[in-house]
Amino acid sequence: MNNKSPVSDASQTSGNSNGRRGRRTAAPSPWRADAQPGAPKKRKPSRRDESGSIRALNPGWGYVFTAPFFIMFLIFGLAPVVYSTYIAFFNWDPLELEHPFVGFDNFALLLDDGQFWMAVGNTFSIWFFSTIPAMIMSIGLAAILRNPNLKAATFWRTILLVPNITSVLAIAIIFGQLFGRDFGLINLMLDIFGFDRHIDWITEQIPSHIAIATMITWRWVGYNSLIFLAAMLAIPNELYESASLDGASKWQTFRYVTLPQLRNTITFVLIVGTIGGLQVFAEPLTLGGNFNGGDSRQFSTLTLFLYEQAFVNNKWGYAAAVGIMITLIVLVISAINFWLTRRIASEDSK
Amino acid sequence: MSVNLTKDTDFDFDESGKPMKLKRRRTPRWRKMSLASYITLALVALLSVFPFYWMYIVASNGNEEVSKVPPTLVPGPRFPEVIGDVFTANPFFGWSLFNTVFVGTVVAIAQVFFSSIAGFAFAKLNFKGRKLMVVFVIGTMMLPSQLGIIPLYMLVSELGWINTLTALIVPALVTAFGVFWMRQIIDAQIPNELLEAASIDGAGVFRVYWSIVFPIIAQSGFVLGLFSFLATWNDFLWPLLVLNDPQVFTVQVAVNQLKSSYTLDYALNMGGAFLATFPLLILFVVVGRRLVSGVMDGAVKG
Amino acid sequence: MKLMRNLKRISALLLTVFVTLGLVQPAKAATPVTITIWSFGNVIEPWAITEYKKLHPEVTLQIKKGELDAHHQSLITAFLAKKTPDIAAVEVSYSGYFRSYPSYFEDLRKAPYNSATIEKDYLDWRWDQGVGYDGTVFGLPTDVGGMQVAYRVDLFKKHGLPTDRKAVGELWPTWEKFISTGQKYNSKLTTAEKDSCKKKKICYGFIDNAGTIYNAVLNQASAKYYENNNTKDGKLIYSTNPAVKKAFDTTTKALKANIGTRINSFTSDWNVGMNNGIFATILAPAWMMDYIKQQAPKTKGKWDIADLPGGGGNLGGSQLTIPKSAKNKTAAWEFMSWYLAPAQQLTIFKKYGLFPSASSLYDDAALKNYKDPFFNNAPVGAIYTAGALQLKPIFEGKKQRAIDNIFGQALSRVAIGKQTPAAAWQQALSEIKKSVG
Repeated sequence: MNNKSPVSDASQTSGNSNGRRGRRTAAPSPWRADAQPGAPKKRKPSRRDESGSIRALNPGWGYVFTAPFFIMFLIFGLAPVVYSTYIAFFNWDPLELEHPFVGFDNFALLLDDGQFWMAVGNTFSIWFFSTIPAMIMSIGLAAILRNPNLKAATFWRTILLVPNITSVLAIAIIFGQLFGRDFGLINLMLDIFGFDRHIDWITEQIPSHIAIATMITWRWVGYNSLIFLAAMLAIPNELYESASLDGASKWQTFRYVTLPQLRNTITFVLIVGTIGGLQVFAEPLTLGGNFNGGDSRQFSTLTLFLYEQAFVNNKWGYAAAVGIMITLIVLVISAINFWLTRRIASEDSK
Repeated sequence: MSVNLTKDTDFDFDESGKPMKLKRRRTPRWRKMSLASYITLALVALLSVFPFYWMYIVASNGNEEVSKVPPTLVPGPRFPEVIGDVFTANPFFGWSLFNTVFVGTVVAIAQVFFSSIAGFAFAKLNFKGRKLMVVFVIGTMMLPSQLGIIPLYMLVSELGWINTLTALIVPALVTAFGVFWMRQIIDAQIPNELLEAASIDGAGVFRVYWSIVFPIIAQSGFVLGLFSFLATWNDFLWPLLVLNDPQVFTVQVAVNQLKSSYTLDYALNMGGAFLATFPLLILFVVVGRRLVSGVMDGAVKG
Repeated sequence: MKLMRNLKRISALLLTVFVTLGLVQPAKAATPVTITIWSFGNVIEPWAITEYKKLHPEVTLQIKKGELDAHHQSLITAFLAKKTPDIAAVEVSYSGYFRSYPSYFEDLRKAPYNSATIEKDYLDWRWDQGVGYDGTVFGLPTDVGGMQVAYRVDLFKKHGLPTDRKAVGELWPTWEKFISTGQKYNSKLTTAEKDSCKKKKICYGFIDNAGTIYNAVLNQASAKYYENNNTKDGKLIYSTNPAVKKAFDTTTKALKANIGTRINSFTSDWNVGMNNGIFATILAPAWMMDYIKQQAPKTKGKWDIADLPGGGGNLGGSQLTIPKSAKNKTAAWEFMSWYLAPAQQLTIFKKYGLFPSASSLYDDAALKNYKDPFFNNAPVGAIYTAGALQLKPIFEGKKQRAIDNIFGQALSRVAIGKQTPAAAWQQALSEIKKSVG
């Protein structure tokens, strides 16, 4: 489905409307090279007063304009979710004519299911390997790109987006080959560097997570570094001024000026990365060739597990229960993230 | 340009408005780019494009070359032959490209339109329940897509859309976050005064939208459309689920199709993958800069 | 704002163009009949398509092939949407599932199919795999996945083993002897080969993957996970059937003896392994011969075929079915019956190695005397015939594939040393209980 458009990752700000985002000043950003002359400058978000600042426009149109979205969403977004929640309480074999009601059995079974917990563990492990290093790399790249003395800046920025537009399928095939145990390029390169053994990137659990995480990292590092770059460019110069007046070194400046200002962006990238990470699917599917997530389920992820229950075991009710669990996990993590952000933010403003 | 206090001026004004002298900076604000930085960038750039190159190498060399140890790293002569094989294996591969362009374009245009009118409504029209709706929209962005995929399949199946492009188009006509993105953009880029002036002149709401709002946000709309197009192009799972006939495949499913037999013909697969990616590369060369701006805009505006 | 004007124009134009085009569906070829077929692997090969076109120019065969699991899953969802192909191939391990739902298929006993008239031409137990729990004949058998051992003559010679296929077959009348032969082979690895593995780089070995032994042994029994009690779902016997434990234990023994290189079939490493002599044997169903030929053409003449330990084995095979919602049933049947007729099955065997299920061929000299030069002129026809005749019919039950998966995963855990065989067995049993019952 189209819900995973890259744009979502860029501008999703759910839950973070704590007011610290975006520039406070009204100066137009120097890097908007393609801004049209005469286009209105960016302005502070208008304070919305409930009596309506735009009295003259008929508010009734609001319903008309939002209707297409809501109708589509109700039919194709919400209804399926509600129905999914419904199915989760039944034993639902698709080819059967009858579907017996089983109450919470599916959920009880799920919580007791070692395969489910394995999928949970794998998903989080992959998330860990893909999110943390990627974040560090993105920030580092952004710091390099930030320098106004950089030649051919547009070229470098554009090239960084290339991984993002490739098809996940093709990449999974290629990386699958690169990570082959006996003859993959990665192991061959390890040979050259004198490494003493071949790592079985696919069969062993943690290496398989690293392999998948590599695919994900490869895809998103460039993209995220652009996001960080934008955020860095939005940091007011005055802060750097005071820092240098105080005689801060390059690293100190980075640690005490840049990084705190990036906090919101980091949170944002983290949340988006988490939600995406919990839905990792195409890479393990292509790497393993089936819905098992590897011969010993070493890279079975939550979404893969869902599909396995639905389309291999033909247990749609059970699969729906998995879907609900995934949603709950996403909500819990987003809530934790949000709460953490609020706490850190409120500590900051002391 | 932002006022640069550092380089040239020796003066600034303190809070009470009195002029004061500044110390001159001892060190320049930004250091020169080091060689290490350029090497890092070059390495990253290389890694970013290497898989495309690898696709081409495999596709142009054939299977036996790939099985060699160590594998060949330069292109070979068999590319036209392999591409020919792709079309033999799937005579409808060309159609797949067309289908994908078609679906991608329709969805992109629809998303831009529907998202922008809804975003406009949320940003500028004060109707009852607006705030609640916005929260609702944000909340729905949290739901993972897998949750509803089976019932969605059942629904699409009941509607008779299985194996048609309609199944790809209609559910994707407008997304929660396209709406949210547009709302942010409109909020930031359209001053209320402009709209008030227009409506005082007698323009109806739709007219205001079409003649004033849309032109201003067209750039951002274009970027939204681009991202939407890319997402459609790379969408794999849903088309795999709902499309059955090679004629209606989109390009990812068509490539996956090449993997289908027991035999894993690498050259064939990479040839297909290359065909599936190359149009995007071309598109990227043309509009890449706008994509970059789009990403960076979105990061700050939120 | 020239850009804006242009953008508006362009978008209006594009919209018009595409809406118009959208009204024009990608046109199907304008021929009298198009038969849609869904299949996997090498079922329905290119030769059959071109040959049938010659015989029936007005018929176009449109084939969609998927990966094994994906293919069957899309079939199920197609049943639900009532948008099915005209012919669907069903693999043997899934026929156990579909046998519980014969109502989704055409009953081939009825007119105009009248399958009873050709039933005698086919191997009885392969025929039975296409019969539903209520007696409906929902599919006809294509090939027999008779298993033998494909071995590398040159590598056997290099490592001190006999090379003549009869002698080789005598090396391993039982699985225990197969395992010990493997150990003997490994002991005769050259220093270079051993070093390569010591350094944990490329490990050479006797067989590509010892895990393949599981299915080979299991399919030599007379029952697997289910017993046919003439009910819809069959009776689960996986935990009590000694054949299952025997297959599991034999495999874990082989895994412990380390005779395999732990390369999975149909992976890129496997292809490379074939080409570079990393392993010397593959448990090869007949249909794998074509695969070997395609992936490792340079090894032509270096292979041979010997008897499988324990006599005869089966892996894979499929039935061709006509779904109830098919549009062109008569035309589909005409093609299907032609394709499955003994004459065509013989040609297909010679071209692609798919061993015929048409038992009337088993006495045919053409089959018996057929020799394959790729496999050192082994009389593959005779070898696989002998194997097929030794096989006992096996009842495939409903959740066959799910259970296979779980056992497979248990064996993998043993293979990488993550669990002891006993623990893996227990875990498999409890997982099956949860998943299937």
